[in-house]
Amino acid sequence: MPAGLDNLKHIVVLMMENRSFDHMLGGLTKQNPKINGLTGAANESNPDPNGTIVKAQPIAKFQGDYHQDPDHHFPGVDIQIYGGVPPTTANRQPNMQGFIKSYFTQTNDANKAHAVMNYFDPKDLPVLTQLATEYAVFNGWCASIPGPTICNRAFAHYGTSFGQVSMDFFYLLDPILSIYERMIKNGCTSKLYYYDQQSSTMEIVNLLQNQPQLFGTFEQFLSDCENNELPQYSFVEPCYNDHSGDDGGAILASDQHPDHDVREGERLIATVYDAIRQVDDLWKSTALLIVYDEHGGLYDHVIPPSCTPGGYTANADATGIGIPFAFDRLGIRVPAILVSPWIPRGTVVPGPEDQANGRVFEHASIPATVTNQFIPNFDQNNKRTDREKQAQTFLDLLTDQMRPDDDCIFFNL
Amino acid sequence: MRTYKKTIEVPKTPREAFNPDRLASSLLRSQALHLHEALKWHVARATAVLATNPKTLRTEREISKYCKEVTAILHPHAVKGPGK
Repeated sequence: MPAGLDNLKHIVVLMMENRSFDHMLGGLTKQNPKINGLTGAANESNPDPNGTIVKAQPIAKFQGDYHQDPDHHFPGVDIQIYGGVPPTTANRQPNMQGFIKSYFTQTNDANKAHAVMNYFDPKDLPVLTQLATEYAVFNGWCASIPGPTICNRAFAHYGTSFGQVSMDFFYLLDPILSIYERMIKNGCTSKLYYYDQQSSTMEIVNLLQNQPQLFGTFEQFLSDCENNELPQYSFVEPCYNDHSGDDGGAILASDQHPDHDVREGERLIATVYDAIRQVDDLWKSTALLIVYDEHGGLYDHVIPPSCTPGGYTANADATGIGIPFAFDRLGIRVPAILVSPWIPRGTVVPGPEDQANGRVFEHASIPATVTNQFIPNFDQNNKRTDREKQAQTFLDLLTDQMRPDDDCIFFNL
Repeated sequence: MRTYKKTIEVPKTPREAFNPDRLASSLLRSQALHLHEALKWHVARATAVLATNPKTLRTEREISKYCKEVTAILHPHAVKGPGK
């Protein structure tokens, strides 16, 4: 076993909101061609309703590009992936040509609709891009479903969305346990940290079933880091809305969901990283995964690959596109970065672009990895979906060599 | 205080970015509906909060106020959040 894995005591997942890989990290390809982002090629484009070809450009704003939230529900994402070709068309092929077409249905303004093609200049995102280049970035981490937040986040918690492709509330009728319940039932420790009460959690079902032992606030997360008392598995939720704190101070949304200011999300990511980084025992024993739940209707050039179905089918009424969905295709690619001092600088995990060595990850990779690491005999209970059992795990990226302290960055907030 | 050799400056978010009157996204509206659903489980001791119809909530200020009321019942163990 590599020393990095031997030393591992904690896995922390910070799940952000609604930004695609190309939108956030696509600009890094010019620095490192191994990163499968944007090269400036002519085919990194979409047609607008007037027939104008609009190229992806590094002109994304921190806030203000998306006063109307770009569609990322199942029918909208279908348009984005298939270019608007109707689902009933025989042999239609995914082409990633429908992003502007989809957003135009909301804006009715071609110029405004172009904004979904914008991406960030890497210098505008010093936290995310530094972490991506200092540690490991995944070329092939996709949302689990070509759809919205709740069902995608469910894959991070359960390895399935129980057949849901929407934002609907679901009740747990299956024997599949959340990763948190698995941990606790097997004598391990786990916690969901939401930001504060005004922001609350998106993991409502566990809020019903497992309080208070499972939940904490972000303030508690920082305290647990400082005291080296993190549970074995932590899931951190950003602040989802702008609100006033109990002292009347302004608290900004840090989830980066359009149209929240992306800089506040950068500060959250840096705060989580620094909280782990500055406690030596924690730093050398923790793997931090920063990942986004779905692409938020923003352009990415990589066609989502097919996947193991997992035993569910959403019917035509549920998908809203006139045909059922067998959970046999992943959602659009999202940023994902794994941080640990046991990861060599500049690690790029190849994705679908590498037919020989590429690996495809999705949110079911999270409970799969945590379960394999902390509850290695869990499969004897056979309470995981085939989808999760087939999911790639990511701790093999930890090596035998721990980087010297001076070699690892720290953020000044 | 501990010093680090390789430090990265992180820009501050401008105060103008704060807009709790922004129209809430479908995610936040769904979150409110989900919390409403969860609250039904606690109806016996939460009838006053249940009287609010989350479908009438439009702004992030309104959604955040609602989230606080509901979460305080569902999870009374939380500490107060940090201000700025």
